[in-house]
Amino acid sequence: MAGTGIRQSVVGPYSTLTPATVLPLDHLTTSPRSSRSYLAPEDAFNAASPPCRSGGFDHSSSNNNNMSLLRDTVAAAGSGDVRTSRRRESKFGSRSRSRRRKRNWKKILWVKQSYPDNYTDQTTFLDSLQRNPRLQPYEFWPLVADTTVIVQQVCSVTIFVVCFVGIFTERVSPVAVVGWGSFATFVGWAVWDWWVGQEGEDEVLQRQNSHRSRGAWQPRQDGGSANSTTAPTTPSAASSVTNLGSTERTTSQGNLIAMRSQHGGSVTSLHSNVSHNSRLLDPQDGLRHRPSSPLRRGRATLRLSTIKSASLIYFTILGLSPILKSLTRSTSPDSIWAMSFLLLAINIFFFDYSGGVGVKFPASLSTNAALMASTVLASRLPSTGQVFSLTLFSIEVFGLFPVFRRYARHRSWRYHVTLTVLLTVGAGGGMGLILGEGRDGVWPWKSGLLGVLVGAFIVIVAMGASSWWLIGLQKYKNAMNGPWDQARPIIISRRQWEYD
Amino acid sequence: MPRLTYNIAMVSDFFFPQPGGVESHIYQLATKLVDRGHKVVVITHAYADRKGIRYLTNGIKVYHVPFAIIYRSATFPTVFSFFPVFRNIMIREQIDIVHGHASLSSLCHEALLHGRTMGLRTVFTDHSLFGFADAASILTNKLLKFILSDVDHVICVSHTSKENTVLRAALDPVMVSVIPNAVVSENFRPRKYPPEPPAPNNGFGNATPAVHHLGPNDPVVIVVISRLFYNKGTDLLTASIPRILENHPNTRFIIAGSGPKSIDLEQMIEQNVLQDKVEMLGSVRHEQVRDVMIRGHIYLHPSLTEAFGTVLVEAASCGLYVVCTAVGGIPEVLPGHMTVFAKPEEDDLVVATGKAISALRANKVRTEKFHDQVKAMYSWDNIAKRTERVYKGIMGDIPEADFYGYDVGNTAAWNGESHSGVRSFALIDRLKRYYGCGVWAGKLFCLCAVIDYLLFVFCEWVFPRDRIDIAADWPRKVYHSDDDD
Repeated sequence: MAGTGIRQSVVGPYSTLTPATVLPLDHLTTSPRSSRSYLAPEDAFNAASPPCRSGGFDHSSSNNNNMSLLRDTVAAAGSGDVRTSRRRESKFGSRSRSRRRKRNWKKILWVKQSYPDNYTDQTTFLDSLQRNPRLQPYEFWPLVADTTVIVQQVCSVTIFVVCFVGIFTERVSPVAVVGWGSFATFVGWAVWDWWVGQEGEDEVLQRQNSHRSRGAWQPRQDGGSANSTTAPTTPSAASSVTNLGSTERTTSQGNLIAMRSQHGGSVTSLHSNVSHNSRLLDPQDGLRHRPSSPLRRGRATLRLSTIKSASLIYFTILGLSPILKSLTRSTSPDSIWAMSFLLLAINIFFFDYSGGVGVKFPASLSTNAALMASTVLASRLPSTGQVFSLTLFSIEVFGLFPVFRRYARHRSWRYHVTLTVLLTVGAGGGMGLILGEGRDGVWPWKSGLLGVLVGAFIVIVAMGASSWWLIGLQKYKNAMNGPWDQARPIIISRRQWEYD
Repeated sequence: MPRLTYNIAMVSDFFFPQPGGVESHIYQLATKLVDRGHKVVVITHAYADRKGIRYLTNGIKVYHVPFAIIYRSATFPTVFSFFPVFRNIMIREQIDIVHGHASLSSLCHEALLHGRTMGLRTVFTDHSLFGFADAASILTNKLLKFILSDVDHVICVSHTSKENTVLRAALDPVMVSVIPNAVVSENFRPRKYPPEPPAPNNGFGNATPAVHHLGPNDPVVIVVISRLFYNKGTDLLTASIPRILENHPNTRFIIAGSGPKSIDLEQMIEQNVLQDKVEMLGSVRHEQVRDVMIRGHIYLHPSLTEAFGTVLVEAASCGLYVVCTAVGGIPEVLPGHMTVFAKPEEDDLVVATGKAISALRANKVRTEKFHDQVKAMYSWDNIAKRTERVYKGIMGDIPEADFYGYDVGNTAAWNGESHSGVRSFALIDRLKRYYGCGVWAGKLFCLCAVIDYLLFVFCEWVFPRDRIDIAADWPRKVYHSDDDD
């Protein structure tokens, strides 16, 4: 019995990987799992039930299953092994061997044990193996919901391409594109500004409450991050400050820098902001005497600098347009199409889909690839006005729009879904319009509508199918952890010596 | 009956003059195997000033094969280009067993593949632990699976390492032996140890070293010798030192080693103004390690991963009380009375060090006995003996049933292929084993094996065996006493 077990386990990698099909000898094949005396690697790979079974998957119970199964194997095989060792004893019959043999094998190296070096102890071997210890099974609807961010980005890119084709085939006036784009950007910026303000106010109120309940403000605790500079606000100050008031201070400094860089902000405004924050670090009394003026001023400075950098970008692009126009004149069009396709693909694949609102540099590779794509595409256009429009539009789509989208998602799920639907409709409709034959002067609403329907259909099917596929792929997940993994050190007092 | 001796080729990218654990392992093992009457040649790649053939002490011949080095002295994996030279050496030295070391050495992997093609027995020693998650590990594991599919036996340095290797390469556990590293205990004597035992058989009655008590005002010196890398736990060390010194002011630190994390340590020293309590020595040579160790009372080892941890054994051999993190194979290495284990957490490390310091202050730890105890635990003689058993097993000189622990009665029912005992050299059997390595990888590996075989046939034709000179051997040592069994 032990013999068959050993043979099962011993056939080596050949059978390890094709467990059931190619066992070389079938005349001895009993049930492989019950009659095995040595643990083979396939115990580790195949012993436990597949990870996803009957919906909810409890990983701890699976580990227990695995372990208990191994134990069962061991228990079933135990008798055979004892017989093996007995027989060897009798064969050698050496002094003290039989006495020593009874001692249990231990997983230590400093004692010369009476077992051979390749002895494998079934009770402890692979005892500490953990399979999929941190597995979080995906669920369908949350996964579908998460795909919306990807849909948004793909649709934005599609809309950009549609606008380019429109301009290129001269069906759409470039001024209309950039006009509507800029209008939408302005509206988006205003909404974003309002959101940021509102959120800041909420946070201030929340902090005040917590401070009141805590009684005293402890300076030690807030030394660490710039975010907590809001702490010293007094009730009087906060009540006198309206909506606009405390926005500036609540967004963390890093966040502000990120937003500023999104707007191509200038350094001076940043400086003012920093100095502002440092002023806010002043003790409580200092702040009480000049309640709202610095806040309002900071807010205004922020807007002013945004407008300044916007105009800077505007005029830079205006100046650069003639150069961009002739940039790739010597390159053949098909390499331009290939290149821009590649760059836009890079944009989609490397986009930072997971980033929250406070990300400092969200996926610079992605943004840069998109801007380069727009540049090479713009250089195909015949007139300076068209080049200017397309470049500006691309900055709006690839540089600023993601910030807004991220914030909308952070703000409310409903906004996010609305935005997704709008983008899908826009992209689908746009595709329909540029693919349908355009007769001059007639609004081809039929092909547009068809495009919307087809686009929506494709998006829904893709979202569902990809989520379903990913869930299906999860059963192949087999993460093995054990004592051989590098430990993760837990260090607490790092901050004490780093920041003090 | 004459002892069976073998001609063994140790192959690894890592060998002297480069310092390191694998390097000294190969050298010590080779020396002791020569002492047991075997013939050992070492094959490694050429180092800057070493090319061609060198002889080391004890008649170990080292072949420095010229190969391009790509990363941390590992050669570029060319799969086949090593074969002609390798075949020539094998025939010239009449090698029976190819013994490869270290899973990151491509020279070793190639040698194992070619060795099997040439019909030699192969052994592989794994010195390191790998995870299963990151891309580099996945690639290495696939390669390891390829090579180890057809290896005769594998040696691991600790039981944890065995579990890891069995999982990584999908091996049968009985063909993996655990043979630890050892230390040359003469090189790691405590400070006040009698310089040399008078004669080997002179009795050891009065040689027990004097007990040295720690005075109440003597500072406890904690030694850390490690390369200062993330995986050696330098972050833990940096975080713990100020807290340990705060709790136990009469304590000193000596830190030897260099690496990217040394800046953090220096920063910590300056911020906490610990210049007079923490001494940083920079990197020390392996010969000087003992001189550093005997200055201290406690050895602190905060590593995050470790297959065996030879340095712990060295420290204990020098009579130091060891504080270490319980990761990897470390818990198997030293008995509890020599060590204090900590979790890889800052708090626990501080607590464990505190425990060790107070135990030393109370003079509860008999550190003066450590050296003799360690000497009895780990010696290269023993390691060589155990390795020899592996060689005998794969050469079929130990009965298979004894070597693999089979039930002898059923042996007749097995055919040659079904068990991992003596593996068949037939190409078709090798291909079967390789084919099982994966859907795509299996076919690729088969292709490699076939090309390797064709190359072998080609070499046999172009450079016939009888044209290759046979190297003259050193006179074999005669090894008589084969102690307790």
